[in-house]
Amino acid sequence: MKFDIIIIGGGLSGLTAGIALAEAGKDVALVSAGQSSLHFGSGSLDLLGCDEKGNDIYNPLDAIKEVNSKHPYNKLENVSSLAGMAKQLLERAGIATTGNATSNHWRITPIGGLMPTWLSMEGMATVEDPNQMPWRKVALVNIVNYLDFPTKFLAAGLRDKGVEVDIKAVTLPELQELRKSPTEMRATNIAKVIGNNDLTAKLADQVNSVAGEDYDMVLLPAVLGMTNDKNSKHLLELIKTPAQFVATLPPSVPGVRMQTMLRRRFTALGGTFFTGDQVTEGLFEDNILKGVKTAKLDGTTLESDNFILATGSFMSRGLRADYNHVYETALGVDVDDLGLDRKTWAKIDVTDAQPYMEMGVKTDENLRCMRNGTTISNLYAAGSILSGHNSIKRLDAGGVDMLTALQAANNIIK
Amino acid sequence: MANETQTQNVSVNNFEQCLKCSICTVYCPVSAVSPEYPGPKQAGPDAERYRLKNKEFFDDALKMCLNCKRCEVACPNDVHIGDIIQAARIKYNTHRPKLRDMMLANTDFVGTMASPFAAIANPILKLKPMKAVLHGVMAIDKHRTFPDYSSRKFESWFKKNAASEQEKFNKHVSYFHGCYVNYNYPQLGMDFVKVMNAVGYGVHLLEKEKCCGVALIANGMPKQAKRQGEVNMTSMRKAIAKGHQVLTTSSTCTFTMRDEYDHLLGIDNHDVRDSISLATRFLFQLIEKGEIKLAFREDYHKRVAYHSACHMERMGWAPYSTRLLRMIPDIDFVMLESQCCGISGTYGFKKENYERSQAIGKGLFDQIKEVTPDCVATDCETCKWQIEMSTGTPVMNPISIIAEALDVETTRKLNKLD
Repeated sequence: MKFDIIIIGGGLSGLTAGIALAEAGKDVALVSAGQSSLHFGSGSLDLLGCDEKGNDIYNPLDAIKEVNSKHPYNKLENVSSLAGMAKQLLERAGIATTGNATSNHWRITPIGGLMPTWLSMEGMATVEDPNQMPWRKVALVNIVNYLDFPTKFLAAGLRDKGVEVDIKAVTLPELQELRKSPTEMRATNIAKVIGNNDLTAKLADQVNSVAGEDYDMVLLPAVLGMTNDKNSKHLLELIKTPAQFVATLPPSVPGVRMQTMLRRRFTALGGTFFTGDQVTEGLFEDNILKGVKTAKLDGTTLESDNFILATGSFMSRGLRADYNHVYETALGVDVDDLGLDRKTWAKIDVTDAQPYMEMGVKTDENLRCMRNGTTISNLYAAGSILSGHNSIKRLDAGGVDMLTALQAANNIIK
Repeated sequence: MANETQTQNVSVNNFEQCLKCSICTVYCPVSAVSPEYPGPKQAGPDAERYRLKNKEFFDDALKMCLNCKRCEVACPNDVHIGDIIQAARIKYNTHRPKLRDMMLANTDFVGTMASPFAAIANPILKLKPMKAVLHGVMAIDKHRTFPDYSSRKFESWFKKNAASEQEKFNKHVSYFHGCYVNYNYPQLGMDFVKVMNAVGYGVHLLEKEKCCGVALIANGMPKQAKRQGEVNMTSMRKAIAKGHQVLTTSSTCTFTMRDEYDHLLGIDNHDVRDSISLATRFLFQLIEKGEIKLAFREDYHKRVAYHSACHMERMGWAPYSTRLLRMIPDIDFVMLESQCCGISGTYGFKKENYERSQAIGKGLFDQIKEVTPDCVATDCETCKWQIEMSTGTPVMNPISIIAEALDVETTRKLNKLD
């Protein structure tokens, strides 16, 4: 089966590249092995949140100028313009965000911390300055028996910042039905029950009855709107006090929404999505990738002029390690293992910066992959599979995913 | 420290690879509408650990699983969650199937009995008193209408009208028509023969064809399913020995015979599996290789919305059908978001499942109503019943759309048959 471009990996990076290329009129296919790590997303995307020492960054665009020479941001032609394009691409997919690349804002984590971030989906609770909380008194309103929203941690975190917090809980009979299988009282199932039964207005009534006007902010778990933002927007409108959502523990409703809306946009542009399939082999001739084989399309080769590898890092199985090697799983392209001996891949203290986190595929200055030391002229890599960055310590995952994807797409279109 | 590490996973159905990430639960069509269902993660890999210790941990709620396999498609770690659940039902369920379930599952037997009486059976099955009896006595939901039985079976039509023509072609395929084409909708089989003949392939029936068994598996009759599967495998081996591919026009029959035979029934199909294919896939592959060509009528316009049936999704083959359809020049093609329609074969016919079945399909029905296509295209026959009943939009198999749009004369010329 022939396409103009084949993208391997259906997460944030793969979909970003896919949308950009489909918008440019290309016939794009995307092969995805299961669902992506967006399902653990916070509803926010980071560009660069922390410096080498772990201090919060206020202006990510300025700070990016200082990243070390191995960081994938060095391969971007114009970070500022790509960051603007990323925000617009999300918007065209129906995902409205607040934030910009010249000044981070801070999101509230499910356990009550404040984290610097770049773009937040509209409706998510954010503050402009971590040292100056905009709220005097907050009502933290959970759903009865919903365990993935640790309110005591959240309240403690906010109180540390000088905010007065009251913890409240509301429920509806339909939501309590979910408790029949306690393991299934999950954010995404709550979202489905609210959506299927048109419960938004009833839920708003409940919230209004426990959180009156003496609060200047109501914070709620992000459990509405899995496939679009209709219900989540509507709920905030119906609550009389200003109200916002805080990310829950996974599965993440805002993350699933982002995934769903990006995929919807990609498909609407004519993109072809190979669901739940896996690239098993690359067919290389000299330094060109001619096609790929997949687990399910036996007998069919997927062929195209250009390819993008966006399969993610260890968590998404784009990279794997056996006892002595780190390898790339789909095509067997070269991996930068930082020249480290096996014993030094990891640090004993799990909170330390882990060296293995910076491992990834090697690319040339145009983001093209290599095989046995030779550059593959039509195979690009994008997203967290790239070597040279630690998204946990530096908070740069969303930016690396989207900006390198857009750069790879640009490199192909050129 | 050990010098070696285990790099291969050896657990059955990959169940030890489960990270408990819960992504399967996000895509389970049942767990959100039926809170008493434990959800795929809990019903599958989690509870399997307990069941391995003691069969008393088997939970009857597992029969709520549709076997749609959407959990497996969503799983980022290739855990065969649906297989774990179905295998547990086969292994641990001690209830004998009810009469109703036996009737629903024995599509062959019931079809054979009903076909000669189709003229009487069809209107009777639509009568309100009859539906009330089925609802009350048999627990077949009164909202459902049985798909019409055809007064003439596809096999009879084929033997009388088509069989003698087939030998004159140079290339040949065998056709596993399935129960639906044989008893309910011979037109799809006729469309298939029309398309295959137009591109130069003779069509042959298998020496013996039994229902693929998907309904037997779902209704707790794995032994009968296995017996029928073995008959199909024997017939297919003979066809394959003659150099035939075995083609179907049903995604579920295909999936069952290629994957469920081995995974759930323990039928050895390794020598047959690769020769079983869906007609759309076969055609697409031949067109790509340049071995056949299709020509379409210039006056053919249609707004078509494609629905990815669950087992089509699991096989990963939807792009074969969609790219084939998109070859029709003036087709206005819309890809629907992949969601379960809720029928899942015989599941939605049962009184206890009716409401759940409609709640599951609601998202898809809403999409279809919004898109307002001339027809919905899908590769699964039971999705057709469900979507037609629930939206009023006609549903066609992609092969029927190709047959309708095909310019037979030009196609025959392009394939050098005239």
